[in-house]
Amino acid sequence: MKIGVMINDLVRSLFSKPATEKYPFEKRPAPERLRGKLYWDPAKCTGCQLCVKDCPSEAIELIVLDKVNKRFVMRYHIDRCTYCGQCVENCRLECLGMSSEQWELASTKKEPFEVFYGKEEDIQELMDRLDHASATPQNRRD
Amino acid sequence: MSELSSLLALMIFPGGLALLAAGLLYEWADRKLVAQLQNRLGPRWFQPLADTFKLLAKEEIVPQGVHKGLFWGLPVVAVAAALTAALYVPLAGLNPAAAFRGDLIVALYMLSLLTLCLGLAGANTYNRFSVIGATRTLTQLFSYEAPFMLSLLGPALVAGTWQISSINQYAAGNTWMILTQPVGFVVALVGLMGKLELPPFDAPEAETEIVSGALTEYSGRGLALFHLGKDIELVIGLTLVSAFYLGGLTNPLAFLLKTLALLLILAVLQSLFARLRIDQTVGLWWRVGALLALVQLLLVIVLKGTGVL
Amino acid sequence: MEEQVQAKNKFVVPIGPQHPALKEPGHFEFTVDGEIVVGATVRLGYAHRGIEKGCEDRNWAQGMYLVERVCGICSHIHAMTFALGAEKLANVTAPPRAQAIRLLVGELERIHSHMLWLGVQAHEGGFDTLFMYTWRDRETVMDLLEMLTGNRVNYSANVLGGVKCDVTDPIASEILKGMDFLEQRARYYLDIVSTDETFLGRTRDVGTMTKEQALRIGAIGPTGRASGLERDVRLNAPYAGYVDFPIKVVTEQGGDLLARTLVRVKELFESIRLIREVLDKLPPGEISVRMPRRVPEGAVVSRVEAPRGEVLYYMKSAGSDKPERIKIRTPSICNWATVMATAVGHKLADMPMLLAGIDPCFSCSDRSVKIVRRDDEQYMTWEALRQYGNGFYR
Ligand code: SF4
Ligand code: SF4
Repeated sequence: MKIGVMINDLVRSLFSKPATEKYPFEKRPAPERLRGKLYWDPAKCTGCQLCVKDCPSEAIELIVLDKVNKRFVMRYHIDRCTYCGQCVENCRLECLGMSSEQWELASTKKEPFEVFYGKEEDIQELMDRLDHASATPQNRRD
Repeated sequence: MSELSSLLALMIFPGGLALLAAGLLYEWADRKLVAQLQNRLGPRWFQPLADTFKLLAKEEIVPQGVHKGLFWGLPVVAVAAALTAALYVPLAGLNPAAAFRGDLIVALYMLSLLTLCLGLAGANTYNRFSVIGATRTLTQLFSYEAPFMLSLLGPALVAGTWQISSINQYAAGNTWMILTQPVGFVVALVGLMGKLELPPFDAPEAETEIVSGALTEYSGRGLALFHLGKDIELVIGLTLVSAFYLGGLTNPLAFLLKTLALLLILAVLQSLFARLRIDQTVGLWWRVGALLALVQLLLVIVLKGTGVL
Repeated sequence: MEEQVQAKNKFVVPIGPQHPALKEPGHFEFTVDGEIVVGATVRLGYAHRGIEKGCEDRNWAQGMYLVERVCGICSHIHAMTFALGAEKLANVTAPPRAQAIRLLVGELERIHSHMLWLGVQAHEGGFDTLFMYTWRDRETVMDLLEMLTGNRVNYSANVLGGVKCDVTDPIASEILKGMDFLEQRARYYLDIVSTDETFLGRTRDVGTMTKEQALRIGAIGPTGRASGLERDVRLNAPYAGYVDFPIKVVTEQGGDLLARTLVRVKELFESIRLIREVLDKLPPGEISVRMPRRVPEGAVVSRVEAPRGEVLYYMKSAGSDKPERIKIRTPSICNWATVMATAVGHKLADMPMLLAGIDPCFSCSDRSVKIVRRDDEQYMTWEALRQYGNGFYR
């Protein structure tokens, strides 16, 4: 029969700093493998769509501008992504990667959650097309 | 003149506002200490005050089927009782605002009145958690009350008076009674924890079983008042025990040091144990607490009778 | 599941679906006579999310991520069960290294789950200090999991055909360091739960379940092992790395809350031992193999020992890239009956600890709902049920 077995710990913590991390003020570096925001490198992409097929939450779309010349834009919905990494695993050409630094992705607005990846001019062209499409209201969204 | 000063004593210092502030600060100190012992951060110093303001500003929801007068009145009576009890204890190491022979009994019963109000408040509603909480509160009241009283009677007997201020003076002039009556000290301390419903004696408000016990239906002003009452009770309890057992309170510095030291012990005890079931609490008090306090008391009486003390 | 107890003119204390004792939705009604419980009923189904049905609309890879979300705590277990089953159907075997890493993550997860449970149990018993310390120390294993797999909760360590994350030397040494710390802490916790008189007062002889009772009710996992049932899928039907790294089953004879606590704390040591062994003898080679998108026709039952007991998946494929039917049987659902059977006669104050004692997981439990329909037809053909289901979820 013993009572107050935890006294050692209590005395120790009385004289030590609390274990609580003051999160937004003090940040610990994230581990190297952390799965944060998704990145896409258009250079090597063949447009095979394998990454899109297995995404469990339909968070990525590969928009084909010109199949022959391999001009693609990737639309990435951060708010749908579950950060599972299946797309990264699927891409055999290693076009995709996940950032270990960008993981504080919360926002009060909807806009930052939709990201376009691709070459400058491709994105520009897609934007122009979308603007054009939004003039005819039926097919604005997928 | 005397009316004015006693009114001041009642409203501002050492009663009233000063006491409320002290209560909130002691609550903070208690929570902070427990947090530190549990290796976490704990609240900032104004948290209890902020909580009180928030509760005061909130809408008070009166549940169906309660006696409205009691629902509103009980918190007020509870705080009033606690404030009245404060008049007789040497707060901040100063002389009590009021004193007469036998005020120890009055102060103790004023504190019990607070608990009684709590129990009634729970029994007043139809909420099942409240009713169970109320039953437990009152059960616990009956179990710790006697040992706690007995443990405070020890010093009173030695000092030969039932007046708190005189006992305080006697304690200041003699050996600390924690040394001469260690058992009484322990019983008093643990009794105080029972009175304040601190863990491990928090069965009456065990959140994992009965939500918030007797106070489950209280939301706004009433809850704030009950909390304030508890905070005042904390200060008074600490003052009483340290005045009786820790060599009296004769100046503000001694008051601060002794009560805070006591609070630290309370915090350690709070964090050290799992919650006792209500039957375990009652068993502990009547089988161990009351017996120990009685033995101590008898010893004191015998020793006093034979002239050793 | 519902066990009706006549409760006329008695005082009924409801716990849940919103109650500070249980942070998850489940509804319990305890009929009390004073403080003594004389009857108990349970009602589940608040967290039904239609996951089984959802799997049918997703391809195999997507389904794995969906079932990973059946439970936040045993996420790896569910994904692993799914992956093992799918691989068996497709006649694919993940390489030994992958199997060992699956075991590694599984055991790390078990440590995390058991420590979480110990904290919850302490909290239910009003022992908040123990709660704070166990959860502080649990951070160690969470950090290790994050370092190894890239996430703290939904690790996504599996892919169909293997695992995603390899164990490198620096990671292995970090894990070993973490294990040393956790072993020392686990020893300390074992000392607390087995000697601290106040905690013992709340656990000893509370909710005692004999071996016969456990067998009859079908208790599984640590709850069953605490009653002396030597049942553990890791031993009885080894899967993944457990074929090469056998475990020693921890059992207790007491059958009360104390025994359940002891089993779980002692399993910490076993997990730590296993992790050390795996890291020491990690098989070399690939960590994944190719998996076909279309899985051949067939059906398979996949069983895995989760921290709470046996998880069972029935998986049926019709030869397409989507499963035909997935049926999930989680451990919590098997253990609910033990609470109801042992509750009667105890104090109301024991109920939260008793409920938490089986380490319940509500989102796990809610695999199916009973639908009360207007026509009281008792039997439905498979086709009719299917159509009804399709209509219901649409
Ligand atoms: S990480 Fe997962 S959810 Fe996110 S885009 Fe890739 S596959 Fe989709
Ligand atoms: S899998 Fe890779 S190559 Fe194929 S579409 Fe996706 S990013 Fe491009």
